[in-house]
Amino acid sequence: MEPWLLLLYLLVFPGFLFLLTYALFLQYADRKMSARMQARVGPPLLQPFADLVKLLGKEVITPKDVDAKAFGAAPLLAFAAVMTAFLYVPVVGLSPFAFQGDLVLVLYLLTLPTIVLFVVGWLSRNIFATLGGVRAVTQMFIYEVPFFLVLLGPALAAGTWSISEIVAWQADHVWFAVLQPLGLVIALIGLQAKLERTPFDIPEAETEIVAGPWTELTGRRLALMHLTMDVSLVVGSALVAALFLGGPLTPWAIEPAWLSVLVGFGLFLAKTFAVLLVLTTIKMAMGRIRIDQLNDWGWKYLASLAMLQVLAVLLLKGWSLV
Amino acid sequence: MKPASVLREMFHNLGAKPATILYPTEKVPVPEGFRGRIAILDEKCIGCSKCAIVCPTQCITMVPSERPIEVKGKTIVRKKKPEVHLFACIRCGLCEEYCPTDPKAIYLTTDFAGSGTDKDLVVR
Amino acid sequence: MPEVVIPIGPQHPALKEPVNFKVVADGEIIVRLELDVSYNHRGIEKAAEQRDFVRVVPLLERVCGICSHSHTTVFVKGIEEAMKLEIPRRAQYIRTIVAELERMHSHLLWLGVAAHEIGFNTLFMWTWRDRELVQDMLEELTGNRVNYGINEVGGVRRDLTPALVKASLDRLPYLAERIAKYTAMASKQRTMLLRFQGVGKLTEAEALKYGAVGPTARASGVDYDVRKDDPYLSYPDVPWKVVTDDHGDVFGRTLVRVGELVESTNIVRHCLENLPEGAIRIQPPRAAPKGEVLSRYEAPRGELVHFIRTNNTDKAERLDIRTPTLANWTSVAVSLVGQNLADIPVVVAAIDPCLSCTSRITIVDPEGAETGTMTWDELRAHGIRFYREREGI
Repeated sequence: MEPWLLLLYLLVFPGFLFLLTYALFLQYADRKMSARMQARVGPPLLQPFADLVKLLGKEVITPKDVDAKAFGAAPLLAFAAVMTAFLYVPVVGLSPFAFQGDLVLVLYLLTLPTIVLFVVGWLSRNIFATLGGVRAVTQMFIYEVPFFLVLLGPALAAGTWSISEIVAWQADHVWFAVLQPLGLVIALIGLQAKLERTPFDIPEAETEIVAGPWTELTGRRLALMHLTMDVSLVVGSALVAALFLGGPLTPWAIEPAWLSVLVGFGLFLAKTFAVLLVLTTIKMAMGRIRIDQLNDWGWKYLASLAMLQVLAVLLLKGWSLV
Repeated sequence: MKPASVLREMFHNLGAKPATILYPTEKVPVPEGFRGRIAILDEKCIGCSKCAIVCPTQCITMVPSERPIEVKGKTIVRKKKPEVHLFACIRCGLCEEYCPTDPKAIYLTTDFAGSGTDKDLVVR
Repeated sequence: MPEVVIPIGPQHPALKEPVNFKVVADGEIIVRLELDVSYNHRGIEKAAEQRDFVRVVPLLERVCGICSHSHTTVFVKGIEEAMKLEIPRRAQYIRTIVAELERMHSHLLWLGVAAHEIGFNTLFMWTWRDRELVQDMLEELTGNRVNYGINEVGGVRRDLTPALVKASLDRLPYLAERIAKYTAMASKQRTMLLRFQGVGKLTEAEALKYGAVGPTARASGVDYDVRKDDPYLSYPDVPWKVVTDDHGDVFGRTLVRVGELVESTNIVRHCLENLPEGAIRIQPPRAAPKGEVLSRYEAPRGELVHFIRTNNTDKAERLDIRTPTLANWTSVAVSLVGQNLADIPVVVAAIDPCLSCTSRITIVDPEGAETGTMTWDELRAHGIRFYREREGI
């Protein structure tokens, strides 16, 4: 691709500008659907944008004896990580930045927000924040193993470490949602836990530890972290859509090229929205569980089922069935 | 009952009208007999001060105000009338209950909207 | 992690009113717990001594917003007992109807708050939407959604027209249907079961020892309900059952409260259908004869006690209020030791705390910068000393 086109892809569409807009839109859709499920009205369309602008204008308060430089840099790090991760996910076709191993890179970048939350909680010198940060990393250890394992499934079956090639494989064969349904279910649960949404919003348990690691974040730092979580939602659902639901490609080729881009984009929007619908339903239908209960349940069921799924993929691949 | 019933209700709500009344665009139904803002009917008040005496928060002061009032065919001249400190009134309705006139000279309306910027506001 | 002191309160998202828990925790397990109530002390007992029986009723209504009818009913019941007044049956029935409607709205509120404490906001929104039906009924019957102002010494202030009775009866079937749904949800929803079962366990012996009352005690199998054990209003005339449970934990308390919701709906329906004819009040004498009355009532949270001393005047000489929440606090402090940090809001919410009702004296020594609590004997000695010095004896 020509350099100027690449720059456009990176900065405008489907890069950063589109990413931010879509992140805010998905937050609106999440809140609106949650509200309607609860028989409430919900916010208007521009509410997430208004919240962002409002937060950016608020005073930034750094507690006494807290390292202001590290405290201010941490949210930026998390934000940059998830924004970069989006570049490797196919949006309108295969990603122009794809390379062998970009799946591993995306997964790594997606863990950074949780680590940053822990760091922020630890740096805050606030007992609630510290507790929340500790809970965040404990939760991460519990769900990361099954989450990574089931995302390994499509990579093993397609024989490649690049997300774009996995999407291309699905266009030639069949969706991994059909071949590895258990993997899809566990991936969705893992995504819900990564995004720290109910029933896994343990680090941020409002009624127990005030706001957990978010307690001392104010002003633009809080705005950046909120935005990071919203962008994580987009990247996470796009990743699940790409790995299990076939991404933006269709099994048949579409001419001319602009129509193929349009159709691909439409498929991307539809699939990520479908993933959001599932995530919102899970969020609304349950209460929060305790960290020790998550520990029990995660290792007993989630991890063992994930290993079973990977084992199944390996066996089927070994017998050349898939 | 299965957890599916929670899901079923959630999805039913998704398509249904929300339970919120969009006040002030929509009207809130207020039953008759609701104890709202206090009002005074000046042409019936005979100045007996019963309302001021019985008020639990003592928010009613009797102020001098001369006026001829028609009572049971005769005309008397009352000497004072009540003035209610609106934001101290707890709307218990005791003043209305003890007022001897008919129709009541002091009574509660069904007006529930009442915010203001002057905390010493009085109703005469 | 070493032991840390976590301040839960006085300001905390889990608490609807200020109370201070100083929790000493080892990681996520609670080691020790210190309780400090008293942030909502408003001096109502003293203020009640200066108001006559007509003007004190609105004051007592405002001890608590959720159980306001309980406080006025128990007080006027006590004064009527002191005056040896027999109030008309129709007034008793109307008081019972409002009392049970108050119980319904309080328990629905509690169900929503309990769901909110575990992050299950959907149930919170649904129960509070259906609670609006109860509030609408109360608004039509009494003129206000909270602080109903329907009681006075000698009877009730408002009557029920046949149209009102019919409108209220029409609302009950839908309410009963929703309550049945919430009963099923509370006893079967997975995350609620996970968070409520085994949490805050109180055995029957412990419940009796620490003086727990209301649904908190009944969930541990203690069969004590003032409406059955010391009947008042029209409860003897209405067929109803005391709801108890054996679980002893927060799940048990949920089941008890949901069971009471069903019973209350039936009591309201029975009273509305069988409302006796007659007057709604009788004129009481102005002054109450000298004496002491202990008036008891089953508030939504448990046994509410008013001790009133009258002395031939139109005011109470001394009013002492013992609210059910005060009796239940010790059980919270006891049952939380050894539990997880995440269980604090659940166990606290399970006793349905109403901190506006609770208040005890705390002595603040400005020079010593220390806080302490007075026992009853110390308080009595202090009071005697204080008045002796003041009168120069």
